Amino acid sequence: MSDVAIGIHDVTKRFGRTVAVKNATLEISQGEFFSLLGPSGSGKTTLLRIIAGLEAPDGGRVTIAGKDVTDLPPYARGVGMVFQDFLLFPHMTVAENIQFPLRMQHANRATRDERLAWIVKLLRIDGLEGRFPHQLSGGQQQRVALARGLISRPALLLLDEPLANLDRELRKEMEVEVRRYQRELGIPFVYVTHNQEEALTMSDRIAVMRAGGFEQVAPKLDVYIAPATAFVASFVGHANRLRGNLRDGMLDWKGHRLALPKIEGATDGDAIDYFIKCEHLTIAPAGTSVGANLNRVDGTIRDIIFKGQVADHLVVLGDGTEIVVSEAASLPRVKAGDAVSITWAPDAGRSFRALDT
Amino acid sequence: MLRRAETRFLLLGLPGVAFTVLFLLMPIVSVLIFSFWRTESYEIYADWNLDNYRAVLTNPTYLTFLGRSAYTALIVTLLCLLYAWPVAYFVAKYGGRYRLLLVLGLAAPFFTGAVLRLAALQAIMGPIGFINMVVTWFGLEPIGFIMYTKFATGIGLAYLYLPFMVTAIYLSLLNFNFQLLNVAKVNGARPWRAFWAVTWPLNWIGTVIGVVLVFIPCMAESLTPRFLGGPDGALFGTVLGQQFGETGTWAQGSAMGVLLFVVCFAVIVGMALTINPRRAGFTGAGR
Repeated sequence: MSDVAIGIHDVTKRFGRTVAVKNATLEISQGEFFSLLGPSGSGKTTLLRIIAGLEAPDGGRVTIAGKDVTDLPPYARGVGMVFQDFLLFPHMTVAENIQFPLRMQHANRATRDERLAWIVKLLRIDGLEGRFPHQLSGGQQQRVALARGLISRPALLLLDEPLANLDRELRKEMEVEVRRYQRELGIPFVYVTHNQEEALTMSDRIAVMRAGGFEQVAPKLDVYIAPATAFVASFVGHANRLRGNLRDGMLDWKGHRLALPKIEGATDGDAIDYFIKCEHLTIAPAGTSVGANLNRVDGTIRDIIFKGQVADHLVVLGDGTEIVVSEAASLPRVKAGDAVSITWAPDAGRSFRALDT
Repeated sequence: MLRRAETRFLLLGLPGVAFTVLFLLMPIVSVLIFSFWRTESYEIYADWNLDNYRAVLTNPTYLTFLGRSAYTALIVTLLCLLYAWPVAYFVAKYGGRYRLLLVLGLAAPFFTGAVLRLAALQAIMGPIGFINMVVTWFGLEPIGFIMYTKFATGIGLAYLYLPFMVTAIYLSLLNFNFQLLNVAKVNGARPWRAFWAVTWPLNWIGTVIGVVLVFIPCMAESLTPRFLGGPDGALFGTVLGQQFGETGTWAQGSAMGVLLFVVCFAVIVGMALTINPRRAGFTGAGR
């Protein structure tokens, strides 16, 4: 048996004239935490629903554990799913909600109770079994929804933005928890999100989606460090985009001459988008001597936005362009109004031929 | 001394309260009082007695009519339930932008009066009506058993009260989150199983309201059996109506009215007891 848990082969889905998913091909391994990351309307939820069987693809095949399930209804696929709005059954207690999949499988009472005891312990929701969903907090509801998705020991778990409705603190906590369940159960999780932090925290691999297609499918670090396309570079992480023209192997950007990594096939005069992540920039008071191999632009600090561990320094250049530099906030070397130099190593950034947009 | 706000509320509430007492409560109370009085030769005498109730509860005629009404109302309610659920379901789920129009369309029969509607049914089911016209067209014997039978009364009542049932269930389904059905399906429920486990219980209150709205008026119906039911089709409502008309025995009729009131009240209480507020889903998060 192969290691492929979920196979998506050339799947296409249209809604009227819009193409929601376009010739998607993907393989997800057993035990992998896989995220579909993209802005709204990128087709990530549609693809998840196609795997669940809630949407029928217009073309292509879907396999689960080597078996073609394209024509199977959702109730015959044996997958677990967690929905964005929790979607607990309001007329059932927590225990009834969680045991629902087992009841649909006609599992006997002993099995149901045994599994319930196991899952409430795993998700730390023991003691809530007799309550109704409206008596639970958001975080508890989320755990119950997860328990319902996992109790039948499905071949895989699909998660549709399950943390989107939780507040920030709880989300951080649940990110770690969800990752832990996935490790303990050893089944693949397919996680849909528009939140790059969630995807980066939890995933093994990430597929960045845009307009129904994959921009990049890669381990999460690659997606972050080595974005394959300009879209990925701008969508993942916080980056400054410098658009200029290639001149003698250097980027001519608003009068600055900047070194940049080589671009395949680009020739002199081509429009170039150079992306440099905010945290790869360094800020120093004007006049500080810098290394010879570094790019450098000068400007004035307009504002410093404190964010906890880091602060975003908004630097206005001579022509009014704004650059964002993320630096440790504990360094009060500079303040608003100061003249500063921004420096960075050229190969910290990524360059692409400019998108037509 | 009343504060200004209280005075204002009193003044605002007064017309409504007065109207309710005068035109709703008083008639019921007067019926209750009449039921303990006596009528003779179209005159009513205020001598208190229980004879009316003794007659209603011991004379098998009244109870037979009551039983017949209850049976008819039950069958009609079940017919409406069976018909209304799919209609309401598909309008609520697939009606899209035409939803409101489709539901308002259900009120179309109300654009005319009840008598006109019944006359139209006569034109369809009558001895030389539309159905028999079609039947004889094909060279068959005309059907005699439809018009002026209990069968015709049943069809007439179902036609009359169906909109109430559909509306009650439709309004309930408007508040129902159809996403829950996807949840049930992904979790292994076949479509019918999902319906019984999720849709039906979560719309039980609306269904109960529909049942009550159809069953109760059917119990008291007199017009439909008179037009469609034929000589043997009289129901409790028909007989009750006669007491206030032809026979002029108002006291007797009042006792019958009180009995009807008690039976209907028992039905409402019985139906209400089937609702478990904790499991009705009304307080559920995300509906």
